[in-house]
Amino acid sequence: MEEIDDMFESSLNLEEIHFKEGYSEGYGHGLDQGKEEGQQVGLKVGFEVGEELGFYRGCINVWNSVIQVDPTRFSDRVQKMIKQMDELVAKYPVMDPENESIQGVMDGLRLKFRAVCATLNVKLEYIGYPKTAQDSKEFEF
Amino acid sequence: MEFYEGACELKLLQTLEGHTDRVWSLAWNPATGTADTPLVFASCSGDKTVRIWEQNPSPSSSSSSSSSSSYSSWNCKAVLEDTHTRTVRSCCWSPSGKSLAVASFDATTSIWENVGGDFECVSTLEGHENEVKSVSWNASGSLLATCGRDKSVWIWEVQPGNEYECVSVLQGHTQDVKMVMWHPTLDVLFSCSYDNTVKVWADDDDDWQCVQTLGEPNNGHSSTVWALSFNKTGDKMVTCSDDLTLKIWEMDGTSMQSADGYASWRHLCTITGYHDRTIFSVHWSSEGIIASGAADDAIRFFVEDKDGLVDGPSYKLLLKEEKAHGMDINSVQWSPGEKRLLASASDDGTVKIWELASLCTGNGY
Repeated sequence: MEEIDDMFESSLNLEEIHFKEGYSEGYGHGLDQGKEEGQQVGLKVGFEVGEELGFYRGCINVWNSVIQVDPTRFSDRVQKMIKQMDELVAKYPVMDPENESIQGVMDGLRLKFRAVCATLNVKLEYIGYPKTAQDSKEFEF
Repeated sequence: MEFYEGACELKLLQTLEGHTDRVWSLAWNPATGTADTPLVFASCSGDKTVRIWEQNPSPSSSSSSSSSSSYSSWNCKAVLEDTHTRTVRSCCWSPSGKSLAVASFDATTSIWENVGGDFECVSTLEGHENEVKSVSWNASGSLLATCGRDKSVWIWEVQPGNEYECVSVLQGHTQDVKMVMWHPTLDVLFSCSYDNTVKVWADDDDDWQCVQTLGEPNNGHSSTVWALSFNKTGDKMVTCSDDLTLKIWEMDGTSMQSADGYASWRHLCTITGYHDRTIFSVHWSSEGIIASGAADDAIRFFVEDKDGLVDGPSYKLLLKEEKAHGMDINSVQWSPGEKRLLASASDDGTVKIWELASLCTGNGY
């Protein structure tokens, strides 16, 4: 009797066996693909953030040089804003992308940047990467 | 003067044509309307120009003629053109009447001055990402605020030589900001938006923050807030909305002595049931008459109901002028000076000058 049970058992469990096989295959595949995409997204976002922060750092450095050469060239208010931008760039948690404050710091930087540009009457604009491109595969680094 | 329904009539003095597209808004020059200076106002249009209108000095320009409503006609004195590349949406005179700030859909704000009879553009403020919707000078004329579809509010400080320095870029509204207006005496800024709220902004040594948001939880509007206006003393404010109501707010006097010196605002009452289309504009006169302009082409006037039986102030309709214009009314503004004049601007491309006259004889203003 037991042998008959064993014989039928494998055919009754056929669906379950195949399911388990498929699952572990899919899971493994997903794991690999996730790692690859994760790496690409990480590189992409890291690059974008780095580039924007670098852009502001570059502007701040030039403006600070101007202030050193001629301290009266920029008003007190603009100097204060540039200093605040400097602090924000330094404060951005580069190594901690999950940090809650990153959006706040970046928003603050963008607003201060626009205010400084408007006052200095310069048309600087950080272009960055098009936000509509969601597919990380479009970016081959 | 007692106000009750039927006590007044609205007389149309003149219809001003000239703009070739809808007229969005208008602003009276606050330094005009005295014995020596005839009334002047500016109108803004979809035709990308601003027109300056002036009342002709009356022939019998001796002392105020209080009994006769002798009125003289209005003329277009100047057209400010070839500057903005898109619709001019609103304008505001500085308190001294010397400068006119103009907000445009082309994302810039221009500043004009009357130089020997001609208006010249002396400065252009850039910064907004898209359409600038409103502009307002503070009481002392030292600060200028702008707002726009990019959801931000900008504060600029006037420097010598027509230089404008950006003091702050304020984010907070989640949608298009329709109007900004400074409090009549304090350096506190108010903004209203498509996001249904009114925001109050105050500064702590140049650091501007939103100190209060008046939204639905505070008995605020349930749809776009289009405009706001203060009463003469600045302790009350009226807002108008796409939700078909006017709301009266008052400054909470008890918190005036708070540490940060900022007094909060609270809802006083809602004027409902009188409008059945969006109310685009509202203006509180120095005598306490609230004028509203709506999408149903009508102008309505409200006054405080002193005989009201409810506890707390209520407001009643004084007069309704249907078909005041052929299309939506975008702006209503009381004139400065003694006479009870109102100007209205409409999608029909015209500006109309009205006089709210008393029907009771022997009761002049």
